[in-house]
Amino acid sequence: MSPETLILGILGFLGLVSVIATFLAIMERDLLRAVLFSAIQSTVYAFIYYLLMAPDIVLVYIPVAVGLYPAIVLFLIKKTERYEGESGENH
Amino acid sequence: MRTTKENLVIAISMALFVLLLSLVLAVGGLGYILPPPQVRLIASWYLRVTFNPFERLFSAMAPEGVTSIVWDFRGLDTLFETTVFYLAIIGSIAIARGVIGGHKEVDEKKLGLSLIVKSVTRISLGMILAVAASIALHGHLTPGGGFQGGASAAVAPLILLVVFSRYFIEKHGITKNTMLILRSIGLFGIGMTAFIVVIIALASGAPAFVFQNQPKTIAPTGMPFEIGGALTGGTLWFFNVFEMVAVAAGFTIIFLLLAIPEEEYKKILRLGGGEHE
Repeated sequence: MSPETLILGILGFLGLVSVIATFLAIMERDLLRAVLFSAIQSTVYAFIYYLLMAPDIVLVYIPVAVGLYPAIVLFLIKKTERYEGESGENH
Repeated sequence: MRTTKENLVIAISMALFVLLLSLVLAVGGLGYILPPPQVRLIASWYLRVTFNPFERLFSAMAPEGVTSIVWDFRGLDTLFETTVFYLAIIGSIAIARGVIGGHKEVDEKKLGLSLIVKSVTRISLGMILAVAASIALHGHLTPGGGFQGGASAAVAPLILLVVFSRYFIEKHGITKNTMLILRSIGLFGIGMTAFIVVIIALASGAPAFVFQNQPKTIAPTGMPFEIGGALTGGTLWFFNVFEMVAVAAGFTIIFLLLAIPEEEYKKILRLGGGEHE
């Protein structure tokens, strides 16, 4: 197996993981867990960017998508309900 | 509650999206060999002129292609991106106007997480800031730049906020107003750097462009691309430093505003306007 094939294989696997994590983030009704799934997807994307040789994007993607963005969403979840559709049933 | 039918629709649409995307790639939507063996014309041009002492009139004279593009070749674009980010923060501050957040007399030692977490945070804080500074200050030489460094630096106050509480960091000087001042200094620096070549050229009476970095055909004034043999990339280094300050302070303002307890906002709303002048 050539190194190129190996890297393409890893990319494919990481892409698959990101799709699954995205699906779980959409389906999850516990918003805290949804944020964690979204962070997993972001982590996988950071690896993909690195393997695609875009270190500039990796450096901005890791703090923003893995650190700052989940933190902001967690702050917002703290201000609202943790479970989706808890008190929004009547509209 | 979601029904099974809705779940099915979500699952099928995601699977369809992935399959169609792979189909497009498989039938050659991006060419049959990936990555394409031929570099596109514009890419090869950038690679040629990013650091090229033999074509000074076109070159940005910084070895990092991405930073050269971001702050030189398409510098105005980045300036307005910074403006958009600044407007978003102005919007958040305007929404939270009048909310002071209450300097309650609290024992901050009891707030926040455990002593272990606090000690680890104290140690890792310096490392985070060092990494952020190196990303920004080397942005014209290695991958990275102002926004990257600023976003990394903003992680430090965020961690402090979570681990130590808002009262702790506000007591130690990281307040909305000091961050606003820092952010204004950063933006002022970006503005001045955009005009610096014009100012230098005006002194000698030569024509110059706004947002100029290296000398051009009809504007012979330019920033030095090296000082004592160390590459500076002309204006790029200054843009990176000021952008880091502006972005880090801007993110910190957002976190400080989000960390204000909900009761404070409700109190203001009940008072109908609050105590802002």
